[in-house]
Amino acid sequence: MAALTPAQIEALVQANAAALGLRIAAEHKPGVIAFVTLAAGMAERVMGQELGIEDESGAVFVPVSPRGTAP
Amino acid sequence: MNALAIAQQVRAGTMTAAAAVEQSLARITTTEPKVNAFTAVLAERALKRAGQIDKHTRRAELSLAGVPFAVKNLFDIAGLPTLAGSKIERDAAPASRDALLVRRMEAAGAILVGALNMDEYAYGFTTENTHYGPTRNPHDPARISGGSSGGSAAAVAAGQVPLTLGSDTNGSIRVPSSLCGVFGLKPTYGRLPRLGSYPFVASLDHLGPFARSVADLAFAYDAMQGPAPDDPACAQRPPEPTRDLLERRADGLRIAVLGGWFREMAMPEALAAVDAVAQALGTTRLVELHDVDRARAAAFLITNAESSTLHLADLKQRAQDFEPLSRDRFLAGALLPAAWVVQAQRVRHAFARQLARAFETVDVLLAPATPCVAPVIGTEWLEINGQRLPSRPSMGLLTQPISCIGLPVVTVPLWGCNPAAPHLPIGVQVIAAPWREDLALRVAAELEAQGLATAPVAALN
Repeated sequence: MAALTPAQIEALVQANAAALGLRIAAEHKPGVIAFVTLAAGMAERVMGQELGIEDESGAVFVPVSPRGTAP
Repeated sequence: MNALAIAQQVRAGTMTAAAAVEQSLARITTTEPKVNAFTAVLAERALKRAGQIDKHTRRAELSLAGVPFAVKNLFDIAGLPTLAGSKIERDAAPASRDALLVRRMEAAGAILVGALNMDEYAYGFTTENTHYGPTRNPHDPARISGGSSGGSAAAVAAGQVPLTLGSDTNGSIRVPSSLCGVFGLKPTYGRLPRLGSYPFVASLDHLGPFARSVADLAFAYDAMQGPAPDDPACAQRPPEPTRDLLERRADGLRIAVLGGWFREMAMPEALAAVDAVAQALGTTRLVELHDVDRARAAAFLITNAESSTLHLADLKQRAQDFEPLSRDRFLAGALLPAAWVVQAQRVRHAFARQLARAFETVDVLLAPATPCVAPVIGTEWLEINGQRLPSRPSMGLLTQPISCIGLPVVTVPLWGCNPAAPHLPIGVQVIAAPWREDLALRVAAELEAQGLATAPVAALN
């Protein structure tokens, strides 16, 4: 994943906030952009890791049994 | 007085539980203006419970008889709203019952005396809480206590209570343990049930104890173990008691120091602490891991996205009521592309398998808990490894890769590692393979027995 430009970060913030119905107040926008930029840097490292099909998600669902039944 | 000394005297009838609680309440009264660890003190409840313990027909069987303890205010306490460090949750309905771990501690005879300060919704490493004020480091009140369980570590360091409970998602037990100079245990992910605690990041949240001795830590941990079928994240394992294993110390254990990232992102005092521990344990072995920064990045992304989604309704309706130090970070986390977070979960699993391979030839790994001793409250930037980094998130640089894969860790406090601030402690992470809390506790007991790791009560003169 290539590094996102400031313009791409701003576009991402605007588009995703609109999709969620999340209003970003003007006074919070610089901080939000700074943190999304930080996250994008983290994402570069994560997306750059080569993974195989054996690399399952760390978030594994646990089925929920009805009360009083054997697990 | 440590927890086990209190329990021993209460069981023997040479001290009443009421006296133990009164001593704790008195210490809280005299030290709280300097520390600000508590957000609620439950004197009436605690004294009532102490009376019950003093009349308990099986008092002699209670491992924590009469021991005062307190909990981070993200644990449910019957009759109080569960604040989780926030202003927003003041409006929540009071909890109808205590959190499961509070009930387990009280079943062992311990007595809850209060709720403790924290970073809002556990999103921080400093407990510079704007709503409730900063919790100050008992060993130097101008400095942070660490966080997010800052109140939990500070209350123990200040001698207000001998035991506390906190939570650790990215380092929130280990960072304040390190900075306040107390012992802390972050068990394996899924070991202790989280029922009745306010979540931060369900994928990463752990609960655990703080204490001034390794034995106290082990007794509290043992009292809280056991499955909880209603908690999907809790492993359905029977209790595996540790307290009788401590005397085995480090005998026969294969111990190594983590290199690479864990030395590069540490300041001289943190390296001095790890090297002192390695020398005391007689090891020169180094284990180098790869992709540690990716594991840390994965923890960052999962934390940011999951926690923001949890609070999305409030972020939409009342963003102005969030902690100013974390509000923009919460808003940002809601906006991250899904692929980043899904990939982060897969990276996490790959890193866990790498560590599993390392643990085939070693039993315990050592690493600093924090890059440095406690910074002054309000510090914005730190110089680490030639980089100017934001101070607050950087306190978790060395803990995040470990909690990201759920390994059990005991943090042990050392002193005098920074010649410019010899009065300040710094912690070392004693890390074991999943479900081997006993090994980490044994090594901690060894270091305590040698006198290298200690947790004295702060003078607070």
